[in-house]
Amino acid sequence: MIFDSLVSGFHLFLTPVAIGLTFVGILIGLLVGALPGLGPLMGIILLLPVAISLPPVAAMGFLIAIFVGGSCGGSISAILLRIPGTPLAAATLFDGYPMAQKGRASDAIGIAISASAIGGLFGGVVLIFASPVLARFASGFAPPEYAILAITGLFAIAVISGGSLIKGLISGCFGLLLATIGTDEFSTGYRFTFDSHHMLNGFHIVAVVVGLFAISEMAYQIMGKDLLDKPNVKVVRPGLYSIVLTLKHWKNLLRSSGIGVFFGALPGAGGVISSFTSYAIAKAWSKPEEKYGEGAEGGVVATESANNATVGGTLVPSLALGIPGDASSAMLLGALLILGFVPGPILFEQQPEMVGGIFLVYMASNVFLLIAGILVTPLFVYVLRIPKFYLIPIVLLLCSIGTFALQASVFDLMVMLGFGLVGILFRAGNYPLSPIVIGLILGPILENNFRRALLISRDGLWIFVERPVSATLVAINVALIVGAIWYALRKRKAIPKPKQTEA
Amino acid sequence: MFVDRKGVLPLPNTLSKGLAAMITPKQISWLIAAFFVLVIAVVFQQIHTSMTEQGIASGGPYDNAASYPRIVAIVIGVLVFIQVLIDNFSSYHTSKEGFRTEEGTGTELALLKRPTLLLVLFAVYLGALNTLGYHLSTTPMIFAVMWCCGSRQVLRLVLAALVMSFAFAYIFEKFLNVVLPGGIFALNLPW
Repeated sequence: MIFDSLVSGFHLFLTPVAIGLTFVGILIGLLVGALPGLGPLMGIILLLPVAISLPPVAAMGFLIAIFVGGSCGGSISAILLRIPGTPLAAATLFDGYPMAQKGRASDAIGIAISASAIGGLFGGVVLIFASPVLARFASGFAPPEYAILAITGLFAIAVISGGSLIKGLISGCFGLLLATIGTDEFSTGYRFTFDSHHMLNGFHIVAVVVGLFAISEMAYQIMGKDLLDKPNVKVVRPGLYSIVLTLKHWKNLLRSSGIGVFFGALPGAGGVISSFTSYAIAKAWSKPEEKYGEGAEGGVVATESANNATVGGTLVPSLALGIPGDASSAMLLGALLILGFVPGPILFEQQPEMVGGIFLVYMASNVFLLIAGILVTPLFVYVLRIPKFYLIPIVLLLCSIGTFALQASVFDLMVMLGFGLVGILFRAGNYPLSPIVIGLILGPILENNFRRALLISRDGLWIFVERPVSATLVAINVALIVGAIWYALRKRKAIPKPKQTEA
Repeated sequence: MFVDRKGVLPLPNTLSKGLAAMITPKQISWLIAAFFVLVIAVVFQQIHTSMTEQGIASGGPYDNAASYPRIVAIVIGVLVFIQVLIDNFSSYHTSKEGFRTEEGTGTELALLKRPTLLLVLFAVYLGALNTLGYHLSTTPMIFAVMWCCGSRQVLRLVLAALVMSFAFAYIFEKFLNVVLPGGIFALNLPW
């Protein structure tokens, strides 16, 4: 089955458009990753309107490559500027920047790129073998299982993201509520449309997400005092030898990639947790002479291989179950839905060639990352010198043209601006934005399956605990919430009270 | 300060207290609570008016399209209520240094001038897009945003605004077949 799907996927992938756009996606990903304040999620959001006008595999190749490149690009600014381009690269600072200080910036970037690509390929192998198995297992799921699974995905992300369980849950529920706007699939009645034809299909997800993330981010960026600064960055040229340097740490590479895939497959965990965990483990297992924290190659290998392997891991539940692991994969699922594909077991059964195509573009992205990363890094160093005041109007322009291009609708632009204001308010209150996206994606899955489950149930809500798989998922949800509350209370007790000081 | 993967980015804290007008975390918390009260009110208003008139606010799981949004709105209400209690009646807030403090730090209102100006500019641009068209409204918007960022090299800004505006129009119109708004003058360039 896997082999057949890959072979049929080859026909879709082996086109100049798909291959070319995957390569372009890597370049854009590296760029948005390297530029502080953007990152892979922002890259996917900004270019989603462009992608949905492309053939399906080319579109997914383009977006997945941005995800892959963006997950690695943050290391370039982390190593050169001591500013992680994305939070994913925060742990790369520990050893990457000291390496650069010792005159080994080229090696550090080369190792980061090689480890990212190898970690990504490791994640790809797991993706190719694990997701069909998971999809086959999930093909026996009925509406109760899907409904509870959607709640699990939302809980997991709300629990882990942003620190506050309640704020995460509020954001997630807000996303669920937004997903109800439009025509109800069951009764065909109109909900929250206010008699406007623009609202019959609800808000366009791209307009909402662009507003929430990109517009609000620009409003925050413009508060900075470094808008006119031109960072002084030296040009570096990593060589092919960095691949050899990376492979010398093969045990660390495999272990960290494994950690990355594991955390990626868990909804909500993501690359930040995996890179910090793999760094901590690599440091604990290292020899004293390796001197972690002072420019150890192993530190860069651990963090970068883990955060790119996470991408592969994240795609496993996303493709096999339709449950996104994080906001970036939620956007990829959103793109799949817009392109007319329903992620989950049905995709594996009815469109194996699309699944094969996605596997191939993911693997190709990592190969291109290795090639482009090593060849084009000097160019990204020049890009890092561009002052932010050029960047802000570019992002705003991309937001507005991209959102307008979706349906040639000015209404979408207003929605984008409105959600920009909501995004600013949420950020100001430290409410995480990712659960809103997950809620938007999972909303229809949750509601439709919840109502279907109640339709087939003879005992009302008891159907969710009468079936073994859904009962297990209910237990997991309860454990997640109880665990999160226990952790929050324990953390609160552990925070010391300040000593009284005289006025 | 950069946005993290989860989309969290706190307002920059200022050390200066007292003299400058500030917006405090408590005020933001009330603002968010008010936002959600409004959202919940809209949900219930729509259930009791539009949905009831359509006959989709009652019945079994198939016909009742109101039960699910009602449940979600109630859950949001309960969670927001708990959050308000935590924000306002809990004795301590956690400071940046990891200590529990009586008061969270705020943000000077003066710091919000630029983002407010940016949003106003952007709103005016979006409003003008349909009337003036892409080409007449985009270049001034880009110029104004860069000016708002603090750059004062007029010639360079004009040049950059023109290049950005035309480059994006070329990419979207030529390669992605997007027809950008021509406005009342129907200004669309035949690339």
